[in-house]
Amino acid sequence: MSNENCILCQIVGNQVPAYVIYEDDIALGILDVNGAQLGHTFIIPKNHYPILEQVPDEEIGHLFNVANKISSALFEKMKIQGTNIYVTNGIPAGQRVAHFMINVIPRLENDGINLQWAPKQLGEEEMSTVELKLKDQAQTAVVSKQAKRPSKVVEHAVVSDDDEDYYAGHLNRIP
Amino acid sequence: MAPEEMDDEQVQALKEKIKNMPPEELKEFHKKQCIFCQIISGKIQSKRVYEDDEALVILDINPANPGHMLIMPKEHYAIMPQIPEETIAHLFTVVKTLSNTALRSLGVQGSNVIVANGVAAGQKAQHFMIHLIPRKEEDGLEFTMPQKDHSENELEKTQQLLSLEGARKKQRSPEQQAPPSLPVPSSIKAPLPKTVPLKPQKKETQKEEKPSSKKDSGLDLDDIARVLGAK
Repeated sequence: MSNENCILCQIVGNQVPAYVIYEDDIALGILDVNGAQLGHTFIIPKNHYPILEQVPDEEIGHLFNVANKISSALFEKMKIQGTNIYVTNGIPAGQRVAHFMINVIPRLENDGINLQWAPKQLGEEEMSTVELKLKDQAQTAVVSKQAKRPSKVVEHAVVSDDDEDYYAGHLNRIP
Repeated sequence: MAPEEMDDEQVQALKEKIKNMPPEELKEFHKKQCIFCQIISGKIQSKRVYEDDEALVILDINPANPGHMLIMPKEHYAIMPQIPEETIAHLFTVVKTLSNTALRSLGVQGSNVIVANGVAAGQKAQHFMIHLIPRKEEDGLEFTMPQKDHSENELEKTQQLLSLEGARKKQRSPEQQAPPSLPVPSSIKAPLPKTVPLKPQKKETQKEEKPSSKKDSGLDLDDIARVLGAK
């Protein structure tokens, strides 16, 4: 499932070159050439889904696991002090490309990136109204649990390529 | 006892004790100190929006926007790399579902998902959590993400540094053309996939489930996606 006009689908299809650092059957990890920091990577599904809600659950789980691994690799390989995992979903949220992506951003002190907010003062009543609305709607939603994999696989945190022991080794370390 | 009530000797003794604790005991210790573990156990009140055996979603009491949610594993993990793969998969599936929930019930048109790993990234709590922030046009929220020009040389080096063994064999060469910079021209028009209904049922995975109503709010995800293609 790809879209011929989508630049990211063209990267997936190898029609447009890119600095790919990770690839498997489902996901691609690409360095952002205009990243907020060197090492800023975005993880995309190979299939074309414009927004988060359209990505199937199995792919969501996998994509964020890849993001976690890339975050660990950034800690491991670059002198950084933190990482953000950041999704802009929809125009008001800052999404610019109509192909779902997860940003993994290396962080340093005073790096000019701001993902903080000033808390909004909401009254008790407004908080309760929001709570009820979300709760009511959430009750109609079912979060599917993916089949549990054998714990052995989880321990080694293998992505989906077979020969990734190199990477898996890093996961057991805490940055 | 708060740290300031202890004298230096006691602090030292406590530090020593923590240092020598076996991992299991240390985890228990952190858990007792963790305000979010107390929220999960119900000792501290919160506004709970969603809960299952692995995950809890509550409203942030210092919200960036109305409906700002925190998605947490019930198990205590301080940082993301400690979390088992299947739990990560589940937590972000919950994020997706709750984002959909916010779109349908709060009249918002988007969401941000933010995880902070490390203090420099903005991590404040000792319990891993995912922020889900509903977004509307002109909601007063502004995140800044500078765009920098990185040289080809820097990018190539970083690519080599970060590339994974498994991926390397499939790697593409970035020579010839310069890679396109993002964001992409606004002319993209995406033919869009069909609306995804709120999750098919799987009986064994959920205890008390109601059948999801197809006509819940008349919100069409495609509308949100379509704007992306059109703008």
